[in-house]
Amino acid sequence: MTEPARVLHARLHLLDRQVVRESDDRLLCKVDDLEMRPGDRPYVTAILSGPLALGPRLGGLPGWLMTETDRLFRREERPGPYRIEMSLVTEIGSAVRVAGHRQDLALERWLTRNVVGRIPGAAGTEEQGDPESGARDAPEKALRVRERGEDRPDAMRLGGLLGRTVRGPSGEAAGDTVDVRLVQDGPLLAGVHHAFRAAGLLIARRRAGRLFGYERGPGLWRPSLLGALVRRMHGEIRYAEWDQIESLDDEEVRLGVPWERLRSTADL
Amino acid sequence: MKRFLAVTLGILTAFGGFVDIGDLVANAVVGSRFGMSLAWVVVVGIIGICVFAEMSGRIAAVSQRPVFDLVRERMGPRAGLVNLGASFFINVLTLAAEIGGAALALELVTGLNYLLWVPPVALVAWLVMWRVKFETMERVFGLAGLALVVFIVALWQLGPDWGELTTQLVRPPQDEGVPTYLYYAIALLGGAMTPYEVFFFSSGGVEERWTRRDLVTARANVFVGFPLGGVLSLTIAACAATVFMPVAAEPDSLGQMVLPVAQGLGKVGLGVVILGVFAATFGATLETALSSGYSLSQYFGWQWGKYVVPGRAARFHVTVLASVIVATALILTTIDPIKVTEYSLVFSAAALPLTYLPVLMIANDPDYMGEKVNGRFSNVLGSFYMVLLLVVAVAAIPLMIATKAGQ
Amino acid sequence: MIPPARLVPPALLTALLLSGCVSPAWDDHDYALKAGKTAESAASAVRFARSVVAYRDRMTGPYAEVVLTEAVHDLGSVNDQFGGVQPPSDASDRIRDEVLRLTEKAENEVEDLLIQTRRDGVKDPAAAVRDLGRLASELSDLAERHK
Repeated sequence: MTEPARVLHARLHLLDRQVVRESDDRLLCKVDDLEMRPGDRPYVTAILSGPLALGPRLGGLPGWLMTETDRLFRREERPGPYRIEMSLVTEIGSAVRVAGHRQDLALERWLTRNVVGRIPGAAGTEEQGDPESGARDAPEKALRVRERGEDRPDAMRLGGLLGRTVRGPSGEAAGDTVDVRLVQDGPLLAGVHHAFRAAGLLIARRRAGRLFGYERGPGLWRPSLLGALVRRMHGEIRYAEWDQIESLDDEEVRLGVPWERLRSTADL
Repeated sequence: MKRFLAVTLGILTAFGGFVDIGDLVANAVVGSRFGMSLAWVVVVGIIGICVFAEMSGRIAAVSQRPVFDLVRERMGPRAGLVNLGASFFINVLTLAAEIGGAALALELVTGLNYLLWVPPVALVAWLVMWRVKFETMERVFGLAGLALVVFIVALWQLGPDWGELTTQLVRPPQDEGVPTYLYYAIALLGGAMTPYEVFFFSSGGVEERWTRRDLVTARANVFVGFPLGGVLSLTIAACAATVFMPVAAEPDSLGQMVLPVAQGLGKVGLGVVILGVFAATFGATLETALSSGYSLSQYFGWQWGKYVVPGRAARFHVTVLASVIVATALILTTIDPIKVTEYSLVFSAAALPLTYLPVLMIANDPDYMGEKVNGRFSNVLGSFYMVLLLVVAVAAIPLMIATKAGQ
Repeated sequence: MIPPARLVPPALLTALLLSGCVSPAWDDHDYALKAGKTAESAASAVRFARSVVAYRDRMTGPYAEVVLTEAVHDLGSVNDQFGGVQPPSDASDRIRDEVLRLTEKAENEVEDLLIQTRRDGVKDPAAAVRDLGRLASELSDLAERHK
């Protein structure tokens, strides 16, 4: 393969997109968050979805309510979100398409069985092929409409990298992270395709929320009024390569080089 | 014929925005109090909704992504949730009003109190959403709504003083205050551009499985449906300006607002107009109920839509059913359906920017649109409307309080 | 900046409170303004009733009844609301009598017409139209004087 590795901006191209099942175009969930394997070169291992992925990203009271409500219905010690391996992803476009026969989320299965299935005239309530649990159903009906899966505390979440304060080498505030740049040159996943590796962070001088895609070159600032306005609100935007990051923790990102030496985004 | 039937989605959507229960009465009130001097607002509204509905239809055809997908994707989970909360609230409130409106139309036919008609109307509406195919639904109620065209015939029959109507276009009446005038301007603009129109229109495009090849259909829907709805709303105002304004009568109910048609065309006209009112409000019932399901499902990524059987879209259908139940309960408290929409119109003005901003952004995103991105014309208009909508959003609630909702 | 949508519930509440209650009259001028408004809404209701009687043969029965019932209802609530406001002085008492005389007369007349319509049609439509017309213009004049 000689073509250059694919480059994505996580928040712009991946997060909050619709996940569609390849086999029958069924809408499964949203990319509520991404799971990453930490290390020198972190890479994306799975799409996370459901309340336990969305809740933490929302934060505040709504986020807390969402997470805690979900926990009430789970039996695991440390319940984790609905997870789709990155190796199953076949296409990333206006939607993210995944191969295989992933089941729906628990709420859909429960409602299908207990509400919609009881209203006369509901066709299609019988669950389609579910290879994981096979044909044994009767005794574990209740279990099958529950989400299963432990949380993976050793994994990192991409949502946690966004909106963090960035400090320069001497501790001065440099800006805020606005997006994560991913390059598809990580290790092979399930022997199929390369993982998306975190290549660097996009940092805006001023905290002003999202960039809405206006981090891309000025040729794409359209409508121009809006593009210029969003860029102005964020101040200068620079790009820190992963090597230029000294440390990362839950609160802050510390740069190994001063702000002035970071690349500007114009040549991205 | 087939060509013509292809635009029923646009007609159904537009009627839900321009001539649903709240707007039917609001247009008559405006006509009786301000004559035609607010007509320019309706024109501004028609152009605005055409610009954004065209973008959202184009996005739906090219990328199969409906509007609330775009809201979540571009605005992120938090701002998306704020928009979801506001839109859902407006949807259920409007849904309650539309159920009441359809029941009021039945009251005009039968003389039976409208509250008796509320449960059957709600039940039939839900059955339609549960079982009837999307295309059948949109054709039946879109076409039946066309009966409202009788207002145009009635206006012509009433023989208004056209010169007088034309003068009113640029001269607001002296005895109304400026804040009241502006309040009604915002209410009309909010009514013309309610967010549920683009939710419904773009989701409808996906339901009909539009692809790049259907871009022409999408455009035809926009440029036939919305202007038609707008013209009807202007005609209603003109009828009211002709019949009510000279005697200073102010209509505040459905029965009173169809009076000009009875006066001009007699019993047959009255029958046709009530049929049209019923179809339009019932269509708007479907539009708002489905929109509440669409917006919630699309925010969370649930399977939605009538293109799959109900058993395959459980969360979506449960949402729709729950909204219908809540709305029915709300309207059965004997709250005045017309008052309800007056308030929800103004709140929708406040939620407008959060809906249309992501549409404008994504219509410019080559990752989604390829070479079908916005042209300069759409962008100039779109940017202009974003500024306008921001002003409207900021002004809506203070004006409502200052004028005691236009009293 | 607070997102506009978060302001929705409190604003709705305020609006409902503002529009739902009858405010007291502070002085004679305020009372006169209220009287004018009352006469205006009553005139509007009477005019609708008049149109129904005048164009009775162009309407279906249930429709005519619904619109007349609305007119009676509107007049009734206008009467109740204005009757409930305390006139601040003797001078206001006169206005009060004048307004209530007309609005109560209007309510009675329209109610009569409704009863007749429900039974076997208005007996003397021409006279009813004339009476309602006169009543409406008296009310409008009154509204005009207290603006």
